[in-house]
Amino acid sequence: MSIEITMPKLSDTMEEGKILRWLKHPGDKVSRGEPLAEVETDKADMIMEAFDDGVMQEIVLAEGESAPVGATIARLAALGEEVKPSASGAAPRPEPEARTGAPEPVPRPSKPVAVRKRPVAARGAGQAEAPGNGSAPAELAPQPRQELPASESPEPQSNGQAPPAAQPHQESAHREPARASEEVSAMRPAAPRPVAVSHEADLAKLKASPLARRAAEEAGIDLSQVHGTGPEGRITKRDIDSFLREQQLFRQRRLVTPREGSPGTWEELSKMRRTIAQRMAASKREIPHFYVTMEIDMEESVRLKKSLEATEIFDESITYNDIVIKACSLALGRYPRMNASFENDGIRIHPSINIGMAVAVEDGLIVPVIKECQQLTLPEIARAAHRLVAKAAQGGFTADELSGATFSISNMGMLGIEHFSAVIVPPQAAILAVSAIKERPVVRNGQLAVGTTMMLTVSCDHRIVDGVVAGRFLQEMKRFLENPASLLV
Amino acid sequence: MANNRYDLAVIGSGPGGYEAAIRASQLKMRVCVIERDRPGGVCLNWGCIPSKALLNSAETMEIIGAAAREHGIQTGEVRFDFKRIIQRSREAAEKLSRGVRFLLRKNNIELIEASAAFDGPQRLTLTRSDGNAPSAPAVEAERILIATGSRERLFAGMRIGDGMLTSREALVYDQLPESVAVIGAGAVGLEFGYFYQAFGARVTIIELEKQMLPGVCDAEVAEELRRAFVKRKVDVLLGHGYKSAARHGDRWSVALDNNSQGKTVEAEMVLVAVGRTPNSDSLGLEKIGVELERGGFIRIDEYFRTTRDGIYAIGDVIRPPLLAHKASAEGIAAVEMMAGVREPGFDLMNIPGCVYCQPEVATIGMTEAAAKAAGIEVKVGKFPFRANGKAVAVNHVEGFVKLVAGRKYGEVIGCQIIGHGATDMISEVALGKTLEATTLEFGRTVHPHPTISEAIMEAALAADGEAINF
Repeated sequence: MSIEITMPKLSDTMEEGKILRWLKHPGDKVSRGEPLAEVETDKADMIMEAFDDGVMQEIVLAEGESAPVGATIARLAALGEEVKPSASGAAPRPEPEARTGAPEPVPRPSKPVAVRKRPVAARGAGQAEAPGNGSAPAELAPQPRQELPASESPEPQSNGQAPPAAQPHQESAHREPARASEEVSAMRPAAPRPVAVSHEADLAKLKASPLARRAAEEAGIDLSQVHGTGPEGRITKRDIDSFLREQQLFRQRRLVTPREGSPGTWEELSKMRRTIAQRMAASKREIPHFYVTMEIDMEESVRLKKSLEATEIFDESITYNDIVIKACSLALGRYPRMNASFENDGIRIHPSINIGMAVAVEDGLIVPVIKECQQLTLPEIARAAHRLVAKAAQGGFTADELSGATFSISNMGMLGIEHFSAVIVPPQAAILAVSAIKERPVVRNGQLAVGTTMMLTVSCDHRIVDGVVAGRFLQEMKRFLENPASLLV
Repeated sequence: MANNRYDLAVIGSGPGGYEAAIRASQLKMRVCVIERDRPGGVCLNWGCIPSKALLNSAETMEIIGAAAREHGIQTGEVRFDFKRIIQRSREAAEKLSRGVRFLLRKNNIELIEASAAFDGPQRLTLTRSDGNAPSAPAVEAERILIATGSRERLFAGMRIGDGMLTSREALVYDQLPESVAVIGAGAVGLEFGYFYQAFGARVTIIELEKQMLPGVCDAEVAEELRRAFVKRKVDVLLGHGYKSAARHGDRWSVALDNNSQGKTVEAEMVLVAVGRTPNSDSLGLEKIGVELERGGFIRIDEYFRTTRDGIYAIGDVIRPPLLAHKASAEGIAAVEMMAGVREPGFDLMNIPGCVYCQPEVATIGMTEAAAKAAGIEVKVGKFPFRANGKAVAVNHVEGFVKLVAGRKYGEVIGCQIIGHGATDMISEVALGKTLEATTLEFGRTVHPHPTISEAIMEAALAADGEAINF
């Protein structure tokens, strides 16, 4: 009996999903809870996990293709059942010679792998034409060689348009010059090397520095998955680091996975949902909200982030979220009335700037607090923020880390949100809603141009501040974000 | 007028400027280089090249003197013509300066001999200090690259003249002083100190910090170097700050700071080697909105762009280390980024630093102490020259190689070499660092025997506890 795997509903609003990448392939053993595929939904790229144990029998929905929620996308054979490659659908895994007796050709990543959008999409496009074409099975098989064009080609678009069969040629032409230098490092005794000659040659042909090879081996990364940014696509240590960072981010993004709800059921409120329900309802009931929005030109901040990355001046990598928090704490320093609370029919203006960061977790959200932001440098803020986010993933907050906020920030930029407004967390005076940094049409000197901008919306308690203060506060944030050298002081 | 319009105007023809200009010409830009002094800048005329000529004379003297006895070679009385030594150094500089002229011409780059000042973001006005009219009153360019370098720094109250010199004056000073007080134990101070002692001058080196080559060099290496200087009868005063200098008759009396309990150093010549300062003034930068950073360095981004569109800067004028090869590499990088053939960013951790006295010192990347302070877990491999066959055979047993590698993967984080030929040996480590080689690749790369370069291989093996010959 085979078990049908259907497209899961990974978010409230999800109607269909696209397979970015299958992480299990026909013939692979699957255990419950293991990652099966990367799925692109309307909200985010997510990992789909297996609900059953078994052996992957057949992939029905090819990478790059979409299907509505509930549609069959793959079949699983129960354990012990013989796996018969199916003739229908997209390609069984061609059994390489290595499988008979020889060790696994290449250690496949045991962890979910970060998604790089463009190359994957391009590959999908190539495959869409594939069925019926003899090269299709090779394209789908999870061998490193087939992954290469996608992750390595500097111009995925051109690959996407080329007939899939042409890819191996392009690839070998691309790689040829690397061979001599790579043979040296291939001599290194590594973890059990693949016996199948073709794979060994493929891995050796990959341009990667000795340090990158060692670090990848240590972290269990399949080098063929890594995008090289060195000269002519050479993989360097930095690429391994950013690959690992992406993986980390991807894992954190999984936190965003909202709890699945089954239609027609009633759920008791969890503790967290109960708190959210009470506080948000009280906020909207008691606090006269008003909302002010401003568009911020982010070009300089983008440049700052890039130059910090390029120079690696700080140990901590700086995210846009960190940059916004820093700018916000500077702006709050100049408009202390925004850093206040309504208490006993009076207004308390706080001496410290403690910024709460809304972080989504499985069943809701928590707001860990970065204390004394007025004293922190940008890298210090980044360190504190990253520590709190990591903690949100693992749990283990102390009560202190979750209390004492004087202002809050909700950032939905990573979800591509155009613009939104947030509900104030009582008794704070305001909350800042941060949207995605996007290319938008802007007017410069009377001419239409493409700018990189971000919408900031601040929700304010009208009992504490008026529109002018809110507007000036946003103007101040705009000044800092558009002249971000100020954030390094 | 159309003739004076360029794709790129480079201000300064030092190693940063002229190499950037050649690269720009290769990338099909119409380029001019504006130079107020001699082509080649400080490096060729007042720095690297002429000083190496002098040091070669000094080393030759050392070989004829002490080393010859060791070899059983007998010489009569060794005499020298100090004026000729200076003259040979000037000839070397002159030859290379002519070479730069030739290279510019060969690459169709116009050399404009004048001083430049910004008249607008794309326009430079030209003047000549000799009173002659420049070849044109102004130059216009799509992009302008500032490569104006740096000049010798002085402490407040110092004035050049009467036997008080910087390296620039010393390079043409053809009287051998009987005694020299060198202020500063950086590369320049040590090289001139070594030079003068080789010809018999009594040299005292005064340094505020507790070690030679402060800030750049590993403490162990600095100590080895100090011993080598003391062995050559140089008086090395570490931890002594310069307070003031007074002229008494035909001698200088250099007073040291309070910690030195009123100590003074008497000398015929005072050589000031206390660093360099960027040439960012007198270009009219403030007029066009090019911002400076602390110390007068021009602020740039990862594309070498200044705060004003179309204006770029490289070399000594933007940031330390103030080294010719760093300027050249930055100049080439900046031009390649302008042409869109190179990604942004520049790795400052992979710039070798060299001192050319004997024994030579060459360093790259972080020292063991700096790496540990940065929280990096390291393993260190050391290999002394006295355990190297070639070094023993050629009688250069001073010094050692110290390799600092990441503990986990063995990637090279830094390397310090002191000893004969160190400055040529460091390139191997630089290449390895560029390619992210680990101690394993250094250890397994077959090095020719007998060479001093085997010491690098052995140091890499030593980092993993596997050195064969020590």
